[in-house]
Amino acid sequence: MRPGALVELAGVVGSDRVREGSPEDAPAGGSPPLVVRPGSPEEVGEVLAWASSQGLAVVVRGGGTKPSWGAPARSCDLILETLGLDRLLEHEPGDLTCVAEAGMRLDQLQDRVSSVAGHRQRLMLDPAQGGGSTLGGLVATGASGPLRARYGTARELLLGARFALSDGTVARTGGTVVKNVAGYDLDKLLVGSLGTLAVVLEVSLRLHPTPEGSRMVALEGISPEVAASFCSRVRRAPVAPTLLEALWPEGTVLVRFDGSMAGALSQAGVVASLAPGARVLGEDEAGQFEERLRGRPWEGAGSVAGFALPVSRTGSLLELAEEGGLVRQLSLRAGLGVGEARLDEHPESLLRFRERVGALGGFVSAHRHQGPGAGGLDPLDPVAAELALAVKLALDPSGTLAPGRGPGGS
Amino acid sequence: MESERRRLDPSAREELRQVVGADWVLTDPDQLRTYECDGLTGWRAVPLAVVLPASTQQVAAVVGLCHRMGLPFVARGSGTGLSGGALPVEDGIVIGLSRMRAILSIDLENERVVVQPGVPNLEVTRAVAPHGFLYAPDPSSQRVCSIGGNVAENSGGAHCLKYGFTTNHVLAATLVTSDGRVAHLGAAVLDAPGYDLLGVVIGSEGTLGIVTEVTLRVIPQPETVKTLLAAFPSTDAAGEAVAGIIAAGVVPAAIEMMDRATIEAVEFAMHAGYPDCGAALLVELDGPAAECEALFGQVVTICRASGSEEVRVASDEAERALLWKGRRGAFSAMGRVSPDYYVQDGVVPRSRLAEVLGGIRELEARHGLRVANVFHAGDGNLHPLILYDRRSPDGPERAKALAEDILTLCLEAGGSLTGEHGVGRDKVCQMPKLFSITDQAAMHRVRGAFDPYGLANPGKLLPTPRLCGEHPGIYRPHPAELAGMAQRL
Repeated sequence: MRPGALVELAGVVGSDRVREGSPEDAPAGGSPPLVVRPGSPEEVGEVLAWASSQGLAVVVRGGGTKPSWGAPARSCDLILETLGLDRLLEHEPGDLTCVAEAGMRLDQLQDRVSSVAGHRQRLMLDPAQGGGSTLGGLVATGASGPLRARYGTARELLLGARFALSDGTVARTGGTVVKNVAGYDLDKLLVGSLGTLAVVLEVSLRLHPTPEGSRMVALEGISPEVAASFCSRVRRAPVAPTLLEALWPEGTVLVRFDGSMAGALSQAGVVASLAPGARVLGEDEAGQFEERLRGRPWEGAGSVAGFALPVSRTGSLLELAEEGGLVRQLSLRAGLGVGEARLDEHPESLLRFRERVGALGGFVSAHRHQGPGAGGLDPLDPVAAELALAVKLALDPSGTLAPGRGPGGS
Repeated sequence: MESERRRLDPSAREELRQVVGADWVLTDPDQLRTYECDGLTGWRAVPLAVVLPASTQQVAAVVGLCHRMGLPFVARGSGTGLSGGALPVEDGIVIGLSRMRAILSIDLENERVVVQPGVPNLEVTRAVAPHGFLYAPDPSSQRVCSIGGNVAENSGGAHCLKYGFTTNHVLAATLVTSDGRVAHLGAAVLDAPGYDLLGVVIGSEGTLGIVTEVTLRVIPQPETVKTLLAAFPSTDAAGEAVAGIIAAGVVPAAIEMMDRATIEAVEFAMHAGYPDCGAALLVELDGPAAECEALFGQVVTICRASGSEEVRVASDEAERALLWKGRRGAFSAMGRVSPDYYVQDGVVPRSRLAEVLGGIRELEARHGLRVANVFHAGDGNLHPLILYDRRSPDGPERAKALAEDILTLCLEAGGSLTGEHGVGRDKVCQMPKLFSITDQAAMHRVRGAFDPYGLANPGKLLPTPRLCGEHPGIYRPHPAELAGMAQRL
């Protein structure tokens, strides 16, 4: 950074909101960037307008729980932290909706929306990184966990957003009601764009009530083949699981039912009868299994990759996990064909995993990776790639936001 | 004036004929008139030509020609849209997708179906129903409306309360871009790499290109469906029950409300046997039997607590059909009790339904017109029917003024301009009520990334200074509606 930049930036947002970054703030090898924490949506716009006019590279940071998703930014002069935007702006318990600033942490939001008398509600996202993720970060990464089986990702839960573009524009998309087709659905563009198109400022979200009853079924110590056939039977059974998760190398399938106590019990009974050895867990044991789901498969060394493949091929993926070697730990949402895998520490593991999953008709994206082939936001189709680049250039013409992480290295 | 109309350049006409075959390029004024409007019949325009391609390659070649000649084009499915999204432009062509109506593949193991855009919505469910599956989005025009049109409008339906909209059920699509290139968006599996361009294309009302192939998700049929009709003394009481159901965390497959005016019309026209009451709620729950039973009891309790005088439960499929009969026939019934009606499409937060319905009653009195309400209450999507007589001197104007006031009421309550009919041409000039110039500018930028020359369905969805001085004509029933094929929501 050139001298004087800090003083100029302090002139934009006030000196208490800017600091020199530490070496940990720098992307690999770079010099420490400045770190700015704007206190209002308008200040975010002002910071971006200033940064783009100076030709600076800006990387957005929320809770800092997923810094390694996607390709690393080529350069980073300024880290824009959203943690100063952490207010809950609206919560309508009767509508099961809320509007919050993007820097609010997931656990803060859960505390607020679950504590209204007579309304125990939650945002149904359970990313492996836990409650320290910010709402904006959950939108930018599209991160989710086992609950995706029933509730989807931010794509399904986001009703509207306010965002800032790199030229300082602050705009809105969507709304706060659960049904709305007015205007382009720019919400969808923000989800999973990894901070390359806009800075998310506010999110309008759909909430769900905390269920009254819950029952979990476990099938343990099984082969990939047994797991695949059990999952397939669960999918065809007259039940609606909240999660259907295959865990490897443990060789375990977990199925959970939430809702009325009677409904959860009955569905758990149905599923437990689908395979010998499947059993309905008691409350304590279910709690222990829930604990095991948490944080998977991130604990331990090695690249972590998200994957998606046809449900019909998930048995082959479990075989790959069973072989050991390449895949160290794997969580599969068996009803959707998506999940995350932690790989062997070999630098080429990600490439090999991508090849194997690709052969099964699927995709892999890097969530934690050092070495070649992190990949970015590049669609496989060449015309789609051109469109993606055109969208990036339309919204961030100065290439200010996380340069290098966008489509075609933009 | 007909004689002053621009004509399609003869060389262009010849080229179009070579692409799609001479039979599939319509330029005869009588034939063109068939395409002059969609389901919103107050807006009409005759295009230079209508072209009916049969493949992605033909669509790409036709659009490529438009790009070279600077010719605007409007994609059209079945023409059942209610916001004028398929309204032609007079100096452009209409590209009709109705010949592309093949179901290309069905893969039930992976719960997906690949279709061409002209396939009617209901055909997808019909194709998979024998195997125990269904396609969830079910707009009321589902017998006629096309999947391509559903994608353009992000269509919902009565059951989207639980199952979501078209955008939640499309995995991939082939898009012919505004310069005639062919893009494959999304993938046969979830989480295709890159920006969610497909998510923006869905609901873009034909302004970002033409979708020529769609991969849909189908879902297993629910084990049980339970339906009840609850009678209330007033819409206030019914609105309270809706808020109670939602707040209790019950997610029915559908909650539909009908007010007294609607019930009376339905009884007059089709004798559905509805109770004589101030408002009725039709509630449908589906899913695993035990879960359904438990929730159903809860719904009945909430309805009673909110003042329901009578709860009828369908005991079999025939009774269920009977309960739905009045709801499904409500619009045609309205045609029997009022010479004309205009249907509004607005959204309010569900917790404010009763309040907004009260506001609509005040507006009725102030404007001296009757409004019948029949709508998707569970997601706050209002469809007030404004009853008027076009033969009365200021009938249409008063209806329009009342419709706009109702929309303002929705927006003041924190709602939206449109829940499912789209912006199209009808509401393009009202977009500024919901989105600032800056918001619209961001949308214009995205439009420009897809369609830099503004050839794809110009004049729809986003306002331009040139557009917004005109007024729509009066409502006239669409032929499909008269034939009982389609309804207006």
